Amino acid sequence: MTETEKKKKENIDEITRCPECSSTQLVRDYERGELICNNCGIVIDESYIDQGPEWRAFDSEQNESRARAGSPMTFTIHDKGLSTDISWKNKDSYGKSIPTRNRAQLYRLRKWQKRIKVSNAAERNLSQALQELERMASNLSIPNDVRETAAVIYRKAVKQNMIRGRSIEGVVAGAIYAACRITNVPRTLDEIAAVTRVKKKEIGRTYRIMSRYLKLNIMPSKPEDYVNRFCSKLKLSMDARKKASEILKMAEDSDLTSGKGPTGVAAAAIYIASLLTEERRTQRAVAEVAGVTEVTIRNRYKELTEKLDLKVEQELEA
Amino acid sequence: MSEREKINIENIVASTSLAEHLDLSRIALALDGSEYEPEQFPGLIYRLQEPKTAVLIFRSGKVNCTGAKNLANVKLTIETIIQKLKKAGIEVYDTPEIVVQNIVAVYDLEADLNLTDIAMSLGLENVEYEPEQFPGLVYRVEEPKVVLLLFGSGKVVCTGAKEESEIEQAVIKVKKELQKVGLI
Repeated sequence: MTETEKKKKENIDEITRCPECSSTQLVRDYERGELICNNCGIVIDESYIDQGPEWRAFDSEQNESRARAGSPMTFTIHDKGLSTDISWKNKDSYGKSIPTRNRAQLYRLRKWQKRIKVSNAAERNLSQALQELERMASNLSIPNDVRETAAVIYRKAVKQNMIRGRSIEGVVAGAIYAACRITNVPRTLDEIAAVTRVKKKEIGRTYRIMSRYLKLNIMPSKPEDYVNRFCSKLKLSMDARKKASEILKMAEDSDLTSGKGPTGVAAAAIYIASLLTEERRTQRAVAEVAGVTEVTIRNRYKELTEKLDLKVEQELEA
Repeated sequence: MSEREKINIENIVASTSLAEHLDLSRIALALDGSEYEPEQFPGLIYRLQEPKTAVLIFRSGKVNCTGAKNLANVKLTIETIIQKLKKAGIEVYDTPEIVVQNIVAVYDLEADLNLTDIAMSLGLENVEYEPEQFPGLVYRVEEPKVVLLLFGSGKVVCTGAKEESEIEQAVIKVKKELQKVGLI
């Protein structure tokens, strides 16, 4: 190929400028197969190749039935979602429905295909663990990106041979806790323990071991990270949330949060904010949401109000 | 005041071996006030008043001594036990070798610590700070191989040391590191 030919080919490949008026406003008319300059009207290319799909979808159902590719890759399925399933629809490749006498056979095929997708014990373990992860995550209404992170952490743990000697459930719970912390939407250990058969202590321990051996380098959780979730559980207004965040910012600046449980500090700040914005929630209500005791809230409340010099109308707890 | 004087040793755990085999039921009768419940715990527990220590005696003749605050007390405890056992007619070694397994000590940095900042400046891969699970910061020192627990009040607990000098080294080390980043 000579140099000029090469250049010509390049030009055809990506025409971005009108050769006549050098306008960049080119229009692709897919119906006529033409590339037209919007400025001077010259037809630059004819018989243009349509690179879009040959169909149009009018709703999501059509879009799905006509899609050529499957769902994206995911770590939350043991084979990363790359394998093929036998469709649940009783239709053959022509779209004809399969006669009833073959249905049972197809049913068996489908069952066995599902079974052989898991090839060995390690994979079976993974598939089971990821199912468990999915279950817990749904229970905790954890978003998909966090689930992916949790799945990646679990896979890492498997690679490092950390599962042996620990329960699948415990490690999965630890992975979820770690994933929540990494994505800055921490769940309390109590919340996670509530959807598992594993004890809080065990989850904490597995999490600590994982973060050490997998070098996750997770920042210590901040009270602020909990504010939004706790506030919306208490149905507090945006003002109260802002106020609570402010209080926590001040508390952190004056070193009041060090060595204190972040949930307790957050709970106290929310309680104070609810008083300041006159949307009072009882200490008990706040305590329940944050998973701490009322005594903790009172202690932190006292520290915060005294050290930060917050003027809160003294209200006696009923 | 030197660092050594400010380090308070709270507990020393030491172990030794008194015989090849010991009949714990006999010892239970011989030692007044000893606890021996094989269903709960295979060892015999004997608490001394002076020095205030506790001793675990096992069937294999192995003996653990806990609660002593200095090495002299460990020795005294073991000697007392040997004497008492001999009096009861139980055969034991005369001068067993005592091995210190663990020393726990407390040190005060005399400054409030911001544990979050410390966690970040010492490197998140070296320390463990989970306020939700434990109020202290866990710092595993590689050399000497001890574990330090740093608290917001400035108090430091040192565990895992086998010698007093290791505690001193670790404390000096962490103090230097914290001074370097300006956190105390």
